[in-house]
Amino acid sequence: MASLGNMNSEPPEIEQIITEFFAKSLHIILESRSPYASSRNYSGDPTISPSSSSSSSSSVRPRDKWFRLALRDCPAALENIDFWRQSNLEPMVVDVILVQRPHDWDPINCIPRRDLVRNTSLKEQSRNSWGSEQEEFGCVAKSERIIERWVVQYESRKNSNLGSKRSSNSNSHNLLKIQHTLYKKSIILLRSLYLTVRLLPAYKLYHDLISSQIHAFTLAHRVSSIIEPSTGREEAEMQRFCFTPVDTCCGRLCLSVLYRASLSDVSSEPSTPMSPQVIADYVGSPMADPLKRFPSLPTTCSPSSAPFSRRHSWSYDLYRASPPSVSFSPSPTHSESRASVSNPASRRLPPMSLPPHPPEMSAAHHKNTGFDEYWPSPTISPPSSASPPTNTPGSHLPKSLLRSESAPVSIPATKPVNTPALPYKHNLPPSPPLKGTGCSTSKTDKRTYQIRTGTTVDKISIGKDETGKISGLKISSGSSQPVSVSVSRSSSRLSLPDDFDGSEFSCPFITDDDDATDPYRRPESYDHKRYRHEPVEPGGVLRVPKPQGAEVGALVLMLKTAAPLCQDLSSSINLSQAPRSETWNNSIQPPDQISEAPAVQDATSSRVASSGLVFSKTTADALEELKGYKDMKNELIKQGLRSQTSINLASAAEVSSRGMTG
Amino acid sequence: MNCEACDLKELELEHFQIREVLRCILHTIVFHRALGLVRPKDIDLELFEITYVQCGDAEVERKINEKIDQFISWVEKHPNKKSQICLSFFEVKNKQASWFTNKIERRYWEYWYINLNVAQHPKAHSSKSHHSKAVVDPGESASEDRSLRRAALEASLREVLFQIIKFVNEKKDHIPSIPVAEGVSFPYEITIPSSSDSAFGMEMFKRMLQSGHPTMLS
Repeated sequence: MASLGNMNSEPPEIEQIITEFFAKSLHIILESRSPYASSRNYSGDPTISPSSSSSSSSSVRPRDKWFRLALRDCPAALENIDFWRQSNLEPMVVDVILVQRPHDWDPINCIPRRDLVRNTSLKEQSRNSWGSEQEEFGCVAKSERIIERWVVQYESRKNSNLGSKRSSNSNSHNLLKIQHTLYKKSIILLRSLYLTVRLLPAYKLYHDLISSQIHAFTLAHRVSSIIEPSTGREEAEMQRFCFTPVDTCCGRLCLSVLYRASLSDVSSEPSTPMSPQVIADYVGSPMADPLKRFPSLPTTCSPSSAPFSRRHSWSYDLYRASPPSVSFSPSPTHSESRASVSNPASRRLPPMSLPPHPPEMSAAHHKNTGFDEYWPSPTISPPSSASPPTNTPGSHLPKSLLRSESAPVSIPATKPVNTPALPYKHNLPPSPPLKGTGCSTSKTDKRTYQIRTGTTVDKISIGKDETGKISGLKISSGSSQPVSVSVSRSSSRLSLPDDFDGSEFSCPFITDDDDATDPYRRPESYDHKRYRHEPVEPGGVLRVPKPQGAEVGALVLMLKTAAPLCQDLSSSINLSQAPRSETWNNSIQPPDQISEAPAVQDATSSRVASSGLVFSKTTADALEELKGYKDMKNELIKQGLRSQTSINLASAAEVSSRGMTG
Repeated sequence: MNCEACDLKELELEHFQIREVLRCILHTIVFHRALGLVRPKDIDLELFEITYVQCGDAEVERKINEKIDQFISWVEKHPNKKSQICLSFFEVKNKQASWFTNKIERRYWEYWYINLNVAQHPKAHSSKSHHSKAVVDPGESASEDRSLRRAALEASLREVLFQIIKFVNEKKDHIPSIPVAEGVSFPYEITIPSSSDSAFGMEMFKRMLQSGHPTMLS
């Protein structure tokens, strides 16, 4: 690690070159490792892209002049470069991480390979990703591997003669010479770096990724100032390539890369075969059913996975239709990973909806002071490829999922999200403490927490997916992390490309929170919220029928019980007869009548009231009447008996008389 | 100032691979010696899974293509020969007129030797399959051989590219100061074997005389 004290002894000109060297290195590395940054044009033959890497604009920007190397825009790098300018030349460690999507899973245990799931806590994850986590989850294949670790650092010499002599006049010429030499050598070093990043195995992955030949993985990167100790196993699997250091006045610039020589397991795996079957899962085939059960499954999964489950949860939206569970269900994540792996074809869909991850990226940027942890979505759809989805049966859910996958290409979305949240210039937090291992860790923790929170919020909004109606309003330029994460999720469902505009997403989350806590107070203007909550809560339109039904039922019951009285009085009171039958009919057909329930209710109640008057009168006399009725009944019975006997007698007589005659 | 030389690993290749392999190597070297403002171009090879970088200068492109054409025609006239292509960088120095040289002197400061062994594999194949009485379908084994050789060449080419990278990293002190004008790269020339091998040797000898003794590297 560079020491600040010695750094001060570097002449400002040299220091500037060093700083720019860091920036350029980062730019070069990320330019060919960060899928989002790619502007390579693969519209033509993918194997020949003569002008592919030349930057789009022919104008020379100041940035290009440095080291006389004009590079394409690389947002991922630019976001970090400004940070590094403030960072007193700490070492810069750029990890290129292969995030591999599991393409098979165990439906029986419902434990997806967690590989993907771990992404949330990048820092911890990177530390543990080799040994402990793998054992913990018992994964067959690692989902995440650091495939390259670039280290750019300035090493200061203990005893710098030049530094002490610098004041003398005679040395000014010398200094200029050193400066020129340093610059020249830096140019060459960066040129060879430029070539080297293209020769290392990871470039093929990147290449395949941006040309959408492989879907089972994605590349992420992490920029930090801490050289994390790597395990022996990790070291053994990787090879080191050290560029020859370039001397400065009081130190030297070192550039090295630790890389995985063989990525054959990844690159060799054909991605395409997976697609058909997985998409089928989404559409509601038998395979999809276990997924729907997921919300109830969290208990079967290890709790430790919960924090990670949030990472790529966009596909998880699909299963929101299932009852809202505030508790984590890792399985959705699983499903998502599956989705990403599986559909190459889907990727080709035009980006219609907001990518699921931009929010995540934004989250990472927010939380990471100075450390860029960039987790691109697995899929990048080249604009050229527009083949229709072969495997998407009509359901809108899969479609939206697919769309969301392809969208990541547009990076701008992240920026709007970032800006409001960061008071600092360049979207970057103030330079972190120099030797802040602990600091960075805490930051990561914080972020993890935030992501969790976001998840919870997200989960609360359940009905949205069912209705299929999502408004961009939910995407907000979050002032708070949790919300922004939750927004991300919802964003994936957006059907309008226009929703990408960050300006539209200025809707405060407060409403979201309000929704969560007090659903009844939600503003009507946010349609999506209404939709969101409908299925969950009995409120809204549905709320009316229920009480009404109950009332009607009660009324019917009342009338039923009253009926005997009325019947008894029917002879004496005719008024009650008609109303009662009417209400009875109404209550019989609730399904059709529910919407008219209020009117019915009114009518009924009025009738009830009127009949109530009748009741009050009749009941008063009821006992007396009843007694009279009983007497009447007895009399009738007696009469009946008599008449029956007489009839019997008559018939008997008739028969006998017939017999006589016959 | 010193003169450095880099002798690149010999590549065994077939005729149809010459152009692409040479372009890859020559452009890669020039890219590291084009210290003017460049807008690099990534080129994905068609025959191999390798991406190399060009400096994006049209003049460089033209010159390299021209020399490759010449070399290919030479190879056609001289089949089954190992050949060497030399890419050399020099400085132009205005020298006071003297009795021996021109006014303009080239001071060579770096040599790159590209060693190629162009093989005639298709013929070898037919003869081989003819002799072998193996049950294996000759066409299949031939294509297998072919893919094996292709893979070997790809690995070798990659090695050569890393050899270039290592060289340019290790040897920096001999590089003259960056020319202010005159194109994107240091002045350079590409020498291919001429019609007579002796002439090529003479050319090299003359150049060595001019620039002093190059340090031969591996």
